[in-house]
Formats: sequence, C-alpha cells, structure tokens
Amino acid sequence: MNPSPASRSFRGITDVRLVARQLYFEQLNFWLNPVAAVFTVGFSVVFLVLLASSAGGSRSSVIGNVRVIQYYVPGFVDYGVMSTCFNAMTISLVVRRETGLLKRLRLSPLPTWAMLTALFTNAVIISVLQVVLLLVIGKAGYHVSLPHDYAPFAVALVVGAASFTAVGVAMSTLIPNQEAAGPMVSIVFFVLLFLSGLWYPLDPNSAMAKVAGWFPIRHMITAVFAPFDKRPGAPAWAWHDIAVMALWGAAGVAVALRRWSWSPRRSEGGGRRARSQRAVAGE
Amino acid sequence: MTVVSVEGLCKTYGNTPAVDGVSFEVGHGEVFALLGPNGAGKTTTVEVLEGFRRRDSGQVRVLGVDPADRSCSRAFRERIGVVLQELAVEPFLTVRQALARNAGYYPRPREVDEVLGLVGLEDRADRRIKSLSGGQQRRLDLGLGIVGNPELLFLDEPTTGFDPLARRGAWDVVRALTGGGTTVILTTHYMDEAEALADRVAVISSGHIVAQGPPATLGGRDAGEVRIRFQVPAGTRLPEIPAAVSASPSGQVEIMTDREIEVLAAVTSWGVSDVVEITGLTVERLTLEDVYLRLTGHAATGTTGYGG
Repeated sequence: MNPSPASRSFRGITDVRLVARQLYFEQLNFWLNPVAAVFTVGFSVVFLVLLASSAGGSRSSVIGNVRVIQYYVPGFVDYGVMSTCFNAMTISLVVRRETGLLKRLRLSPLPTWAMLTALFTNAVIISVLQVVLLLVIGKAGYHVSLPHDYAPFAVALVVGAASFTAVGVAMSTLIPNQEAAGPMVSIVFFVLLFLSGLWYPLDPNSAMAKVAGWFPIRHMITAVFAPFDKRPGAPAWAWHDIAVMALWGAAGVAVALRRWSWSPRRSEGGGRRARSQRAVAGE
Repeated sequence: MTVVSVEGLCKTYGNTPAVDGVSFEVGHGEVFALLGPNGAGKTTTVEVLEGFRRRDSGQVRVLGVDPADRSCSRAFRERIGVVLQELAVEPFLTVRQALARNAGYYPRPREVDEVLGLVGLEDRADRRIKSLSGGQQRRLDLGLGIVGNPELLFLDEPTTGFDPLARRGAWDVVRALTGGGTTVILTTHYMDEAEALADRVAVISSGHIVAQGPPATLGGRDAGEVRIRFQVPAGTRLPEIPAAVSASPSGQVEIMTDREIEVLAAVTSWGVSDVVEITGLTVERLTLEDVYLRLTGHAATGTTGYGG
C-alpha cells in the first residue's frame, strides 16, 4: 500500500517552507535577546582585539616568522564557529530538553530533521556573521592578509561547523541538567582550546600538539590556517585535518543517535536504571 | 464512534510494571479523565496513546491508527494536541509569535486570534512570554495545545497550580472545545476537576484501572450509604430510628444509612408531630474523593494527602 501524501515524511516545497519558517523563528528567538546575541557574536571579536593589542605584533617561527595576528584572525574565526556550533548548541539543547521544549516538539508534527536543519542553519548564519566581521576587522584594523584560496577555507569551516554541531548534539546527551551545561561545556572547550594552541602557535612536533591532535579543535585550527599560510610548499588543503574533524562529527552522530532523549533527564533520572525507576515513581 | 481504544496495555520500566493490563475506550466528543495518585501509571498510559512512548504489549488504536506506527506518526501528530505539565516556550518570543509558529506546523490550524480569545490572552498577545504570570503562561500552554485544531486533545494535569478563578477559566475553554466535537483525555489529581469536566472517569492505581464510569455513579456512589446530619436543641430525646445514630450532647445528630428514605420519613414526621426544632438537615452521598480514596487504598489516611 502506498503511503498517502499526508503521511510521507518529506513533502517537497511545503517542507522547504516549513524549515525556512522554523529558521525564521530561531533567528527571531536569537535576536530578540539582544544582550545574549551581541555577546555571542562579539566575543570572538573582543578576544581578537585584546590579543592583537597585547601580542599581535610579535612574530612566530612556527608559522614562518609572520606576525602572530596573522595566526589569530583564522584562530578566532575557528573560535567563533566552534563556540556557536558546539558551546551554544550544546547548552541550548540541554535547556530545551530540560524545560520540556523538546518533548513538546516531539509531540508536534514538526519532523525531527526539520528541527535539526533549522537549528544547524541558524548556527551557520551566526557563524558566518562572525567570520565576515573577523576578516573585515583583521584586514582593516591589522592589515592581515586574507586567505589566498577561499575554497579550502570554506570547506574547512563547513566541515568544522557540521562536525562541531554533531559533537555538540552528542555532548548535550551527556549533560544531566541545565545547571551543569555551562560549566561542563566551558571546561571541555577551554582546556582543549589551550592544548590546541589557540592563544599562541604550537610547534607541530611538541608533546602538547600531539595530545591535542587526538581532539578536533587542533585540526580545525590547522585546517583553517592552511589557506592563510603563504610559506612556499605549504598546502592550502589540509585534508588530514578535515578528515579527522569529519571522523569526530561521525562519532558525534553515533553517540547522539544512541543517547538522544526527548524527555527531561531531571524527571527521568540519569542512568538507565535510575531512569526506569524514577519514570515510575516520578510520573 | 470510538476515538481511542486500549486493550490490555502493559508497560514495564526495568522490573517495575508501570501499566499492567489497562483497557478502556473513549468515544467521539467525550471527555475522559484518568484519575490516580502519583506513579499510578497515568502519564505512561497517556504517553503511549500520544505515540511518545512504546508499549510492551496490548492493543492500542487512536484516531484509527496505531500511535506506535512511525510511518504515519507525522500525520497522526497533526491530529492531536498536547498540553504538558511543564511550561515549555522560548521566553523571548511574544505570545502571538509562539502561537503563530506552532500554528504553522499544522495543515488546518485555528486562527491565532481565535486561540487568543479562547484562552483569554488577547490583551497579552504582543507581550514577551517571560513577562507573563504563571497562570498566563499555563493558559498559553493550553493555547499551544489547541492551535493545531486537534481532533483529540491530551491534557496532563492542566490546572495544577491555578488559582480557583483561573481553573474555572480553563474548564470553560475545555467545555467550549468539546462543544465543538473535540475529544479530550485528561489526567488530574483534582476530584472536582474530574467531576466538572469528565463524562467518564477511570481510576488508576498501581497500573490497574480499579473503577470506571461516569463521575456521578463511580464506585457505586449513587447507591449505598449516605450520611444524614441535623441539629436539635441540646437534651432532646430522639425517637426510634431504623439506623445507626450518633448524637452529641450539644444536639448534633449524625446517621449513616443505606435506607435514607425511611430514615428521613421518620425524622421529618417526628419533627412535625412533636414540634421539635430541626435545623441544618443535610443528606450527603459519598463524594468522588471518598470513592477515590477507597479505591486507591488510602481511605484511612483522611481527605488530604492523597496526591503523595
């Protein structure tokens, strides 16, 4: 028996409009809280300006004796994309789960894929805004040279955004409640940022770089820096780094699919056993 | 026409059965209340009907389909509305924006202005959700549940935390909806809510339905014992009455009987013939609460604390 048009999960142009509408309300929700919006978008810019004025003029042999600001601009492009797709996404998903928003969405006809597409596109829009802002400030304020090849720059950012979103969704399933979301995400993020050499260029042969190489942030930084790197023989495409990010993204998807929950954890308990007991007791 | 039919529904979490062989039917346009203490299995039952939770066994048909069938889940969700216990709306949107967004999920939604009128939020339409009072937020919740123009509406303890006036308001909305043919499944702790709204009530305890029927006749409360009370001047000698009588020295008389007509005839004819001043005469049937407490095994704990 053929499914009736009403029961198909994708309905063509109607659903494209549905996602566009959902995206509109995600954007509305973001900008209607202007303080949070300005801080989210402005954080990477403020960081860049602070670091540039303190250390931006010094040179680093690790990146071919260019000014460090030439390293910070792509670095904070990464920071902007990662903090939007990983930090903000993770915290927002935990809050939505714990306040019952996800459960309500699950009980509405909005398909899960449409919700996630709108969420991801929303994060991409906010990321692009920061990338443009950082490149403009870098160029106009600090005469930084822009990427000599935009294709690897764009691919590294898109793969990074998708992977960090997937890891963010997975991370949200590991966080038990709203109050823990901010601290847990910040600690993971800032420790890895430090290890991965966002604050100063890292010698690729150092022990720290080797440890950081296990995690995706280091690879985001090297993949996005590559198209800025003008040293002779330096490849603009950092395929290895892009591939490692993609692997992390795939792992994120796998964890998210296994552990995803529409119900607040608070009412269902943490572990599987506690959940089964509390679901009965805490009806 | 049957909108919901449940036969032998079972759901176990770990080793603990939450719902153990529940069966009932709900007809078109009916308000059906599931009444029971915390942990009795109300929410689990409702979540299975909503397609939110999978059942272990039993037959379930809702609006002609199996809610666990994922191939038609989207079409199914277009026909149901759900009001959850927790408020769940993004705080920075306005009331109108939230309703308009959710209306867009459904093929034949209600007009946003109609919903605003139904839940009494017209004058709050352009306010941010975070600025609403608790009661207003719950009314918005109700509005979000009905904006899709559902055939079947699930209300999970819809008036918990409402003040008495707000509860009446919410009841009026539910009555207006059922007048339009919407079927409602309601879970509640409140006896008066079940009595005011429900055409039929099922009392659920430890995963079982222990009684089912119209609130007026539930658990045989339309028959059986009644409590007759009246006051006579202190020291008055009572006549022969064919029932157990307890009288206090101050003249307060209480009679428990299942032969209320005979007893009342004896009392009233005595009052008229002996010219005794009888005041405050009342005849009480078991309240729904009495029945509920008896059915859920809490009769001895008194009239409060049944929700624990």
